[in-house]
Amino acid sequence: MIGGRRPLPGRKLGDRRVRVERPHAPYFRWSGAGQLTARAAASRPTTASGRWWAAVRALFLGRPLASDEEAGERLSKKKALAIFSSDAISSSAYATEEILRVLVIGGAVFLAFGLQIAIAIAILLAIVAFSYRQVCLAYPTGGGSYSVSKVNFGRRASLIAASALLIDYVMTVAVSISSAVEQITAALPVLLPEKVLIGVIAIALVTLGNLRGLREAGNIFAVPTYLFVGSALLMIAIGTFRIVILGEHGDFPRQLADQTIATTQSAVALLLLRAFAAGAVALTGTEAIATGVPAFKPPEARNAATTLAVMAGLLGVLFVGITFLAVNYGAVNVGGADGQTVIAQVARRVYGDNSIPFFLFQGFTAVLLVLAANTSFNAFPRLLAILAQDGFAPRQFGFRGDRLAFSYGIVILAVVAGSLVVAFNGETHLLIPLYAVGVFIDFTISQSGMVRHWLRERPPGFVQRLAINAVGALLTGVVAIVVAIAKAPTSFIVLILMAVLFGVMSFVRRQYDQQAAELEVREDVVFDRPHREQRVVVPVNGINRTVVQAVTFARTLAADVRAVYVTEDPDDGEALRQRWQRQLPGVPLVIVESPYRAIISPVIAYLDVLDKAWPPDKEAPITIVVLPEYVARHWWDRVLYNQTARRLRRALLGREHTVIADVPYRRGA
Amino acid sequence: MSEARVPPFRRAVIALSGHPGNDRIVRIVSQLAQASKAELVGVHVVEVDWSQPLDADIAGRSEVAQRILDRAEEVAEGQGAALDAILLQARDVGAAIVDEAIEREADLLVLGLAYRMRFGGDFAIGRTIPYVLKNAPCAVWVVREPIPEEAS
Repeated sequence: MIGGRRPLPGRKLGDRRVRVERPHAPYFRWSGAGQLTARAAASRPTTASGRWWAAVRALFLGRPLASDEEAGERLSKKKALAIFSSDAISSSAYATEEILRVLVIGGAVFLAFGLQIAIAIAILLAIVAFSYRQVCLAYPTGGGSYSVSKVNFGRRASLIAASALLIDYVMTVAVSISSAVEQITAALPVLLPEKVLIGVIAIALVTLGNLRGLREAGNIFAVPTYLFVGSALLMIAIGTFRIVILGEHGDFPRQLADQTIATTQSAVALLLLRAFAAGAVALTGTEAIATGVPAFKPPEARNAATTLAVMAGLLGVLFVGITFLAVNYGAVNVGGADGQTVIAQVARRVYGDNSIPFFLFQGFTAVLLVLAANTSFNAFPRLLAILAQDGFAPRQFGFRGDRLAFSYGIVILAVVAGSLVVAFNGETHLLIPLYAVGVFIDFTISQSGMVRHWLRERPPGFVQRLAINAVGALLTGVVAIVVAIAKAPTSFIVLILMAVLFGVMSFVRRQYDQQAAELEVREDVVFDRPHREQRVVVPVNGINRTVVQAVTFARTLAADVRAVYVTEDPDDGEALRQRWQRQLPGVPLVIVESPYRAIISPVIAYLDVLDKAWPPDKEAPITIVVLPEYVARHWWDRVLYNQTARRLRRALLGREHTVIADVPYRRGA
Repeated sequence: MSEARVPPFRRAVIALSGHPGNDRIVRIVSQLAQASKAELVGVHVVEVDWSQPLDADIAGRSEVAQRILDRAEEVAEGQGAALDAILLQARDVGAAIVDEAIEREADLLVLGLAYRMRFGGDFAIGRTIPYVLKNAPCAVWVVREPIPEEAS
C-alpha cells in the first residue's frame, strides 16, 4: 500500500482499481462542507488513567450518549400531571403535620383550628394556581419565575428569583428525602436509628440515576404518583365515612389533653399565624407546571393550564382531607421516640394497624416523596445551566456530561442537600422553616412580573388577567412576609443565603463581562500579517537531543534566537560554549553564572533585561520561550524529568509579551 | 419461501453515486438487511481519467467523496444497521463496482437510477447500469427514483 491507496486487480487487465483508505472514518464524519462531526472514538480519553476513569464512569453511569440521542418526548396531560405534580402533591404528606406541630403548642383545643387553617391554605393554593394558569398561557416557552422576571423586571429581580429558586430546589430534596425516610421508619420503626444514613443513601441513588440521564418522563413517575393519589383519596373517603356517618373519633395523647397554656388574644393570633406559615409549605411545587409548558403535547399552553387546575384541585382535596382526618383522629406528632408521622397515624387508623394496605400506602408515600426530590434534580441543574448561559454562574454548569445530564449541577445539589439532611439529623420539621420563604418570594416575583407583562402587552381582556395576577402577587407577597416573620429567626438564614447567592452571581457576571470587554474584537478590523517582531529564547541544560530539537524548532520561529545556560560553574559554561559554537553555529549561547545557585530567577531576570534593552520607541517584541522537554516513558518516572522546565513555565505564565512553547522529545523521534 | 417475501441476502454491495436519492436506497436496503442480519457494503467510485495515474492522490483528498460515504454510514446507522464504506479509484465505475462485489462475495448489488430534470426530464441510464446488469454474477437491484410530482 502506498499512501493509504491499495492497488487491486480486476477481472480484466484494464479493470484495475485502487482502494483508498479512510483514516478519518473511525473518528470523524464529514457532515457538511468543511465540517467534521466527532464520533465516539474521537471523544475517548487518550491516557491510561483517563481510559480507566472512563471505564469506571461507564460501569456506574452507562455508555456516553451523543447529543442527538436526547429523548424529546411530549407529555400527555395524564402523564404530565404525574410528572410535574409529584413535588406539589407530595407536600400533602407533611404539610398537615407542620400545622398540627405548631397548634399542639396551644394544647388539644387548638388542634381543631387545623382544618380551618388547611382550608385557608387551600384557598391560597387556588388563587396561586389561578395566577399561574395565566403564566402558562402567556409564556408557552416555559414561565419559570427567573425567565418571567428577567423579561419583565430585568437583571436584579431575576437574580433574586433565581436565588430563591436554587434554595427552593435544594430544600425540596432535603425535605422530601427526610420525609420519605420518616414514612419508611413510621412503618418500620426498627430502621429509625439509621434514618440519616437511609436519607443519604436515597440522595446518592437519586444522584446516580440522574447522572445516568434518568428522565422525568415515563411510567416511572406516573405509576407511583397515581398509586399515592388513589390510595390517599381512598383513605380520605373511608376515614370521612367513618367520622361523619359512623361518628368515629380519636383521642389525643394524654400529655396533650392535660396541656393548657395561658392564652391571650394576641398569643392565639400568633399561634394561628405560625400554624398557617408552617402549613403554607403545601404550596411548594405549584409552579412546576408553568416552567414545563414546552414539554406538553400541543396545544401546550392550554393543556398545561388545564393540568395545573387539576393538580391544584387534587392537592387541595388531599391536603384538606388528610388534615380533616388527622384532626378528628387526634393524630399529632409530638416528637416522641416512636417516629410516627401524622399521615402514618391516619393511615394506620384507616387501613388498620400493621395491615398490608397500611404498609403499601407508606411505601407509595415514600416513593412519591423520592420522586418529588428527583424533580429538583432535573430543575436545579437546568436553572444553573441557564444561569451559566446568561453569565451568572461558572460556565462548567452549562456543560453536559457523558449521559447528557448537567453533571456539575447534579453533584452540587446532591452534596448540599445531603449535608442538610445530615446537619438536621433527617428531621423534616427542622428543615421546613428554611423551605417556604424562598418559594413565596418566588411566587411574588413571578406574579408581579405577570402584572408588568399585562400592563406592557395589553391584549384584549387584559384587565381581568391583570387583576388575577395582581391579587396573586399581593397575597403571596403578604404570605412571604408572614412566613418570614413567623419562622424567624431560621427564615432569616434563607434571606441571608439569597443575598449571598445574589452577590456571587452578580460577581461572576461582572467577571465575565470584564473578560468579554478585554477580549472583544471590533468587527470592522481586518487582521493583516503580524507586524510585531519576535525573538526566541531557549533555556538549555547542555547539548543533548531535547535541546537540539528545541533549538531547531526555535530557528523556524524567528531570526533572533538565543540559548541561555544558567550555571554555577564558569568552567562548565566555557566547555559548553566551545562545544555549542562547533555544533550549533549561528545560535548565540548566553551563559549566566549563578553564584547563588538559583536557576529560574536568573532566566527571568535575563528576560527582563532583554525587555529593558529594547528601544523604547519601538513596539515591544513577542518573546517566545521554547522549553525543551523529555517525554517520560511511564507515569511513575515523570517525577524524574522536566522539573526545572515546569517551574520555569509556572514562573513565566502571565508574563507580558511572552509566549511559552513546549517542545517534547520522544524516544525514537 | 413464499412469493410475497423479499428474497434474503447475506451481503449487499450498494453503489453510491452521491445523488440525494442514495439516502433512500441505503434506508431501504438497511431495513431489508435487518431481517436476515445481512452485511452491507457501500461503494463509491471516483473515476480517474487517463491523464493521471490510477493511484494518484485524488479520492483521499476529496471531501465530497468522503462525505458521500459518511452520509451512507450515518443513514444505515439510523436504521440500526452497520455499513462498511469503501472508497475506490478506477478507470471505469461499473467494472470497479462489479469487481468489488465479486471480491466481497456479495449476493446482491444495488444501484440507484436518478431522474434528471434537464432536457424535459428522463431516466438517463448511462453506461454503469447496463455494464453491471450484464457482468455482475449476483442479483442486481436497480432502484429507480420516483418521478417528481411536477414532472409527471
